[in-house]
Formats: sequence, C-alpha cells, structure tokens
Amino acid sequence: MNKKNIVFLTLIVIIASILRLWQLGKVPSSPDWDEVALGYNAYSIIETGRDEYGKFMPLLLRSFDDYKPALYTYFSIPFISILGLNIFAVRLPSAIFGILTVVVTYFLVRELFKDSRFKLEVGNWKLEIPEVTSLLLAISPWHIQFSRIAFESNVAMGLNAISILLFLKSFKRPFLLLFAAISMGVSFYMYQSEKVFVPLLLIILILVFRKELFMIPKKYKVASVAIIFFIAIPMIYYTLTNSDALARAKGVSIFSDLTPFLKRNVEKLIEDNNNKDYLGLFLDNRRIEFAKSVVSGYISHFDLNWLFVTGDIERHHAPNMGLLYLWELPFLLIGMYSLLFGPFDKKIKIFIISWFLIVPIPASVTSGVPHAVRALNFLPIFQIFTAIGVISFVVFMSNVKYKIANIRIEYLIFYMYILFLTFNILYYLNQYFIQQNYFYSQAWQYGYKDAIDYLNENQDKYDKIIVSNQPHLDQSYMFFLFYLKYPPSLYQIEAKNSSGGFRENHKFGKFEFRPIVWDNEIKRSDILYVGRPQDFTGGVEAIKTINFLNGKPAILIVTG
Amino acid sequence: MNLAKPKIILTIIVMLAAILRFWQLGTNPLSLTWDEASWGYNAYSLGIDGRDEFGRFLPFDYLESFGDFKPPMYAYLDIVPIWIFGLNEFAVRFPSALFGTLTVLVTYFLVKRLFFSTRINTSALALLSAFILAISPWHINLSRAAFEANIATFFLICGVWLFLCGVYERKWCLVLSIASFVLSLYTFNSARVVAPILVLILGIGFRKELLEQKKHAMIALVVGILLILPSLKFFLSSEANLRFREVNIFSDPKVIEIANQEIANDGNEWWSKIIHNRRFAYTVAYLRHYFDNFNPSFLFIKGDGNPKFSTQDVGQMYLWDLPFLVAGAFVLLRKREGCWWIISLWLIIGIIPAATARETHHALRIEAALPTFQILTAYGVFIFVNTISNINRRLNLGQIAKIPALPAGRQIKYLVLSLCFLFLIFNFLYYYHGYYAHYPREFSGEWQYGYKDSIEFVETIKDDFDQINVTTLLGRPYIYYLFYTKTHPEDFRRTAIVREDPYGFTHVDGFGAYKFGDDLSKLDNGNKRILYVNVSGRSPRKANIFKTVKLLNNDPVFTIYEIVHMPEEEKKNE
Repeated sequence: MNKKNIVFLTLIVIIASILRLWQLGKVPSSPDWDEVALGYNAYSIIETGRDEYGKFMPLLLRSFDDYKPALYTYFSIPFISILGLNIFAVRLPSAIFGILTVVVTYFLVRELFKDSRFKLEVGNWKLEIPEVTSLLLAISPWHIQFSRIAFESNVAMGLNAISILLFLKSFKRPFLLLFAAISMGVSFYMYQSEKVFVPLLLIILILVFRKELFMIPKKYKVASVAIIFFIAIPMIYYTLTNSDALARAKGVSIFSDLTPFLKRNVEKLIEDNNNKDYLGLFLDNRRIEFAKSVVSGYISHFDLNWLFVTGDIERHHAPNMGLLYLWELPFLLIGMYSLLFGPFDKKIKIFIISWFLIVPIPASVTSGVPHAVRALNFLPIFQIFTAIGVISFVVFMSNVKYKIANIRIEYLIFYMYILFLTFNILYYLNQYFIQQNYFYSQAWQYGYKDAIDYLNENQDKYDKIIVSNQPHLDQSYMFFLFYLKYPPSLYQIEAKNSSGGFRENHKFGKFEFRPIVWDNEIKRSDILYVGRPQDFTGGVEAIKTINFLNGKPAILIVTG
Repeated sequence: MNLAKPKIILTIIVMLAAILRFWQLGTNPLSLTWDEASWGYNAYSLGIDGRDEFGRFLPFDYLESFGDFKPPMYAYLDIVPIWIFGLNEFAVRFPSALFGTLTVLVTYFLVKRLFFSTRINTSALALLSAFILAISPWHINLSRAAFEANIATFFLICGVWLFLCGVYERKWCLVLSIASFVLSLYTFNSARVVAPILVLILGIGFRKELLEQKKHAMIALVVGILLILPSLKFFLSSEANLRFREVNIFSDPKVIEIANQEIANDGNEWWSKIIHNRRFAYTVAYLRHYFDNFNPSFLFIKGDGNPKFSTQDVGQMYLWDLPFLVAGAFVLLRKREGCWWIISLWLIIGIIPAATARETHHALRIEAALPTFQILTAYGVFIFVNTISNINRRLNLGQIAKIPALPAGRQIKYLVLSLCFLFLIFNFLYYYHGYYAHYPREFSGEWQYGYKDSIEFVETIKDDFDQINVTTLLGRPYIYYLFYTKTHPEDFRRTAIVREDPYGFTHVDGFGAYKFGDDLSKLDNGNKRILYVNVSGRSPRKANIFKTVKLLNNDPVFTIYEIVHMPEEEKKNE
C-alpha cells in the first residue's frame, strides 16, 4: 500500500462512518421489535446471565418464537454496558461492523484483482477496482440501510467478506486458513440464512481454488476442518433437535401455508382425475408446483424494480428509493459484461459469478421474496460489478475523440453523468435522513418512547395499565420492557407462566398486554388504557395522544 | 451446426406453428371478448355494405366501436374470413392466427437478413429463432385470439426485414418496407410509437446505404408520407389520444402530492424543489413501469396477470429460455455479429409505449418487442450447441478421472443436449396441456363466457316477447347480440339508441327488441311482455326463471326470466 492508497482509504472510512453513525439513534425514527428484543435480551444477559425466558447464555434467542441466532446480542453487550440500554447502543455493533465491512471489502477486492492492471487515472490519481468498490459500498443505500439498524444479517455479511478474504490470503500465509474457519463457523451463530449460504460459499471456494488449497500444508487443512466442525456442531445440533426452532424455519418457508398455494393445483388434479388424464396427473404433480415457486423466488431477486426503484417492505429501504442507485444501473450491466469478457483471471471470474448466483438460494425457499435482508449477501458483489463498470466506461470514453461544437464529447458525457450521480446521491441522502422519518415512522413502530415517557411520570396514579398488542402495536410488551428498563430478574420470574410467544398476551408489574375491546372493558378511573385510535370507539377523550411523524395518531392513552 | 435442408425444416416449423395456432381456434379460448366480437361484427358489416357498425363508409382512420377508436386494419383483414366461414369465432380469430403463423415464417427471413454476411450458419440460427417463436407461449396465446397487436407485430417484423433487403440488395424493398411500417400504424396503437422510432433508427444506422440509393429512399419516404397523410389528422386529434390520456401514468396526482410533502419536510428550501421536482418523480415512475416489463415472474413464471394473455402457469417465455436468453444477450453484445444493434435497440424500443400506461406489465402492448426475445434465445442456444459440440476435444471426464465407466466426451455432449431438449419438451407439454386441459375451465369468466349460450336461448323464445331487457353489468352486451343474432347492419343502424358518456365511451342502449342497461327494471316500458337477461343472483323473487347459464367452473353468470306482473304486491315487497 502506498501513501495515496492510505489517504484514499481513510477518506472512504470517514465517509462510511459519517453515513453510518450520524444520528444513529434517531434515523430510523425508532427501533423495530427485533431491535428492542435484541437490546433487552442483551440487557437481561448483562444483569442476570439469562435471556428473557430465563435461559442461561443461550445460543438461540427464543424471543418472539423466531429463535434468532444469539451472537448479535452478545456483540451488543459491551456497548449496552457502557452506554446504557438505548437504541444507539443496540445499533452501534451493526454500524461498526458496517464500517469494518467497507474496509474489509477494500482488501478483499484488492486480493481478488491483485493481478489486474485495470485502473482509472484521474490526473495523477490512480483509482483501481478496490477503491471504487469500497467507496460504492460506503455510500450504498442497501448497506447503509442495514448498517444503521440492529440487524444480524448485516454483521453476517461482513463476516462472509472476512471469511473470503482470510481464505484467499491463506494461500500465502497458511495459518490464516484457521481464522477463515473460525469466521465461517461463527457466522452460523449470526443469522439464519448463513446456515445455507456459508456451506455453499465454502464449496465454491474449495472447487474454484482447489489447486491453491492443494499447496497448503495438510495440518492447516485438517485443523480448519476440525475448527469449523467444532464451532458449528453445537449450532447444527441445536437447530435440528429444537423442534420449536424448526417451526420458525417452516413458518417463513413457502411450504408453510399450503392451502391457498395449492388451491389451483388441487382443482387441476381433480379435473385430470375425472378425465383419466394421466399426462395431466404427471404434469400437475405438486412437486412441480413447489419447484416452480422455488425458481420463482430465486429469479425474483433479479427484478430491476426491486433493486433500483421500489425495494420491498418499508423498513428495508428509504422512501422512493430502491436498494441500489439508479445511476449505477448502466455501470452494473457494463461491469457484468466487462467481468465476463474482460482481461481477468478466469478463476476470479468463475468465483465472483458463482458467489453472485448462490446469494438468492437461502431466500428462495422462503415467502416474501425478494427479501432485502435475506439477500443482503449480494453485497459487495453488486458494488464490484459497478466498480468494474465505472472504470471500463471511463477508460472507454477517454478514447472517444468526437467533438460537438468544440467541446470534447467525453467531457460532456462525464459532466452530465457526474451531475446525475450527484443528484441521485443527494436525493437519497435527503430521502433517508429527512423524508424517511416522516413517511415511514409507522413502519418503524414509532410512538412507544413518548408514550412510555408519559406513563413513567404518571403511572403512580393508576393501579393497572392495559396496552394493546394488536397491529401496529404488535409485541408492545417488549418495547415497554426496553424503554422501562424493567429489571430482567423480576421479569423472568413474573413471566414464567405466560409463554411469551408470538401472538400471546403478556403481563408484568402493573402492565397487561392484550387486545382492547372497548365495549367489554371495565373502564375504572384507576385503569389506564394504551391503544390504537381504532381501539376506542364512541368518542372517548384521550388524555394523551402520540402521533406518528406524519401527524396521524399512533397511540392513544385513555383513562377508564 | 450444419443443416442439410433448411427449406424442409422451415416448412415443418411453419406447419407446427400453424397447428399450434389453428387447432381448435374457435373453441379455445372458449368464447369471444367484446373486442373480438366487435372486430367480427365490424368486418361483417364492412363486408355487406362497406360501412362500419355505425355507418361510416370505408373508415380508414378508425372504428369508433366502444369509443375506443380502434385502428381499423383488423376489421378489413377479417372481411374475407367472415365471408368464407361465416360470422363465428373461428372466422374472427382467423387473421390473428394466420398472421401469427406468417410471423414465424417472416422471422426466419428476418434473422437470415440480420445475420447476413456473418460467418455463422445463418440458416440454423434463423430456423432456431422461427422454432422458438413457433412454440412461444407468448406468441401462441396472442395468436389464438383476435388481438390486433399480433398483426401489428407481423407488419413491424416485415418492415424491418424488407428494410434490410432494401439496403442490402433489392432496392425496391425499401418502398415495401415503409408501406409495411405504415400498415402497422393502421393496426395497433403502440405501433404508432414503435414504428417511427424503429424507422428512424434503421435510417440512422444505414445512412450510408440510404445515401447511395437516394432515389429509392426518396420514393419510400414519399410513399410513406402519402400513406400516413389521410389519417394524420386523426392521429393528432383528441380522440386518438383519449385512451392514452386516461391510462397514462403522468396524470397520477399522487406523485405531485408526495413531492409537495417532501419539499415541505425540507422547509421549502430551493434545493429541495430541485431534487423533488415532479419531472424527476415522473421519470422514476416511468422507469418503474418500464422495468415492470422485465419482471422475472412475468417473463418466466406466471406471465401476464390478465388471464387473456397467459395461462397463469407459464411465463411469457418458458423457464427453459431463461439461461439461453441471458447468455445469448451477453454473447451477442460481445461478438457484435450481424445487425446486433438492431436486435438490442428493437427490444428496448418495443417497450417504450407500454411503459406509459398505469397497468404494467402488459404482454399485449409490448408484443412489438417480439421476436427479439426469441432471436436472443435462439442465439444463446446456437452458441451453446456450438460450444458443446467442441466438447469431445476439450473434455473427457472418463479419462481425466481414469474411470472407464464414466461416459466419454462425445457421450457427455449428447447427454447434455438430450437433457436440455427433454426439459424443453417438458416445458412445452406443461404449457400445452394446461392450455387445453385447464385453461378453458379456469378462466371462462375472463373470456366473457355465457353470452353465446344465453343469446342462443333467447333467440329460441324471443318471439313470445315484445321487449328483451339485457344487463350491461358484464359489459357491452349489444355487440354479442349483434354478433350471434347476425343482425343486418342496416337494421341495427336504423333502430340503435346510441349514447356517449362523459368519458368518451360509446354505449348502445338498445336496438330492435333489445334494451340494455344496468338496472333492468328501469328499462320497462308499458305493459308489454318482457324477457329479462340478468346477472345471476340479481333476479327478483317474482321471476319465472327459464334458464341459468353457467361458467365452466359451475359459477352461474346469466339468468333468463320473465316477471309475472302483480304490481301492488311487488311494491309491498320493496
């Protein structure tokens, strides 16, 4: 690394840090239920060594019966110990990992393209693929989105980049293979999709780089395999034997709710049966229906609208933005083309393309595709393609010598494009940091903090506080635990008998969490009701109304 | 790939295309949509006295029809089939199926021209393209109903092919090419955008060749202008743009509301007014609709959401096509063989007009992009087969692994090819079986099934009644009554009660003994004997039901009844 590289990388890290740390606790406007659950469980472990269900040092967090791999919680423990239980502290590990990933990406891409002399010369600055890729990742809407919230998937993606980097570096320094093995093993504890993705990635790495691996001394290989198994086996064992955890996997898979999915298929089979249509009975086999929906889930991740214009659900993108910048689209295509046909090592080509193609596999058997979180491993591959595209394009355009009215057309195009690009990035930053809170505060389950601040001041006046747990106030109990910093030791005892499952009612202290049916409530003046506007029928006066950031009422506090 | 007798193979492919398009044409799709019925009746009317249903003599610019101002070409093409086969479903769809078959043939010639003077075996590539188009679910679905877009696609392909013929050798073809492009303008609305851009691009791409043959180019230009001139006034009129204004995305006020809110959130700063300019917002909306047409599920899994254009089980293309399409596109861009730029630009242009509409993706409106998808797929297959043919020299797994039991290179080649072919056959059977075994039952409602049966029944008893009240709730019954009763156009024009609504649609409220309306009791007229044809479930309790017409999935559609008049009791009940 020469001086210029270091300067440039520092610059990128500064940009990445600003974009990931600035207003971290305020944008997005409030934590979603997964974030508060991770935070409170971390708090619970700090205080008691046990999670909210009283399980000692869990590998999987039962949480809302979705059995999240628990590693993120442990990562957030130091931050919560120092900064206290607040949303900034919960999100900080993800943000730090996001910045780290930008740096790792730089070295990873440098390792991948170390033999390439593909570069961009701007004056006496030489930009190569690694710099451009990590800069693109630093400003990527997709990566910023998930670096700024406590999502395990973001850390998992960073771990994958680290694993690949260490694996590639191990050809020169064999002991690094051991660390690659550790990183891969650990990632199983990070995020669900990794259990499918990492083995596939490993197979590709082994197949593509079999010759290089062959040169590594045997002891390192044996040790690495042992490490991976040693780390991963408890998780595999735990996942496979825990029937509740399997239930979650089934819950999100396309095989979960079969009735609507197979309705047409059943009608067809009946028709085939009535007609004695044996070809039909073969063709309308439901396995074909399943195969089709897996393929459909897979290719849905190549939808341009999802990538560039609309994104998927509101919590996964900024308003009116996709996951990638529109200006990147032409370069992405050029980049794919250049990578396929350009002067790159064939092995690297095969590796990057296979890596790209396995990403949607874990998500394709799930419902709700395309899914920006489950397919987050697409990063930084899209940025690699785009970086190659940018460089190819600039190199190509520099050789164009047409002139229009004395202006060299290459400059004209560059300036136009830089204008467009700047515009696009500014637009994104505005959408993310300013517009998002206004338009999407409901999706971010806004309102609890203000409501609980109010309750904290006034709760002594009431014997009982009843809180709705219906959408959009789902899992309200966890928000209350989080913001009240309710003593975990107390909660573990009080909640022992309520299962705490996904759709259950909860109870602790003077709080009760259940659907509010206004007509059937007792309505005593020492009972406080916290619910949605539609919970209170018949012109009830609220003593406090908390609005979403777009001015619509979110939470009403009503006395009986 | 070497093929000994391309002509014989081409004949087989075209025959295959014809079978796939003509077999049971009149009965699957099950019944006529109102647009199809309208084409049929207008053609019938034109065949009798040279006037359309409403009496315009030889309309060349538009058919008023339901107020949608259809380009008239399809009706003219349909005159002869209806004259030969009579006014029935088969005859109405005949032109679309015929031109669909011819499109397959012309695609062969087009591809030969596109890759003219390259080193590749153009016959093989052209045959592959024709074959893939012949079995394409997209093209078969659209060729089996009276969709004018299908004819426009034929003219566009013809236009490009003849243009290439013109610039390469037979100069007079340029004139024919322009004529063909202009015919497409008279056939389908989208072509009014696609054809001019396509001509412009061909003109720019072949500017040198055109300058070398100024005389022919000028004649072609003059002929083109002369052919457009008569309808130019209509093309620019408000009626022609009526539908466009109604369905386009730029009239969506929500975009502006959001932009205003965003500016307000930024404190009405000047820079916010720039980045939230509504022109950018509309551009993004346009792109969204444009990209919608590349939706993977639309193209390869489910097809168009409208069951008229897709069976909902197979995409616009087979899943089999996907890898070859992607590979074909990349490799063609890499190798830049033949007129590669025409294929890529054509694909991009073909989607431009459809993306301005609110409802995307739309298989019909982007049919102008056919057969570029098929050519790219064929190119991918072609490259794949060529690559794999060299495999016996490059790869011999059995020897590498020193296991004699593994198949040798040549065998692997055949194994891979047969597996590919088997998967294609499977894809095709899956589509074809679904189309004949399940499609008619599942979507009979979408094809407005029920009119024919109900009308045939009404015809048998109508002489007992003075007036027949028919519901308009299922849309435009008058055209079906004209079609299936074969009413003489003169009778229709004399007795028709025509009304135009504020949105510009044309309604016929009655003709002859028929009265049409959404509330049947309002159509009553004195104490005559009245027969009612109503949507099932809406018949009053006093009805004496003659017949209930059901869809193929057993849902009732029409109930035909009379009311035994007891006026006072009826009032009490209400």
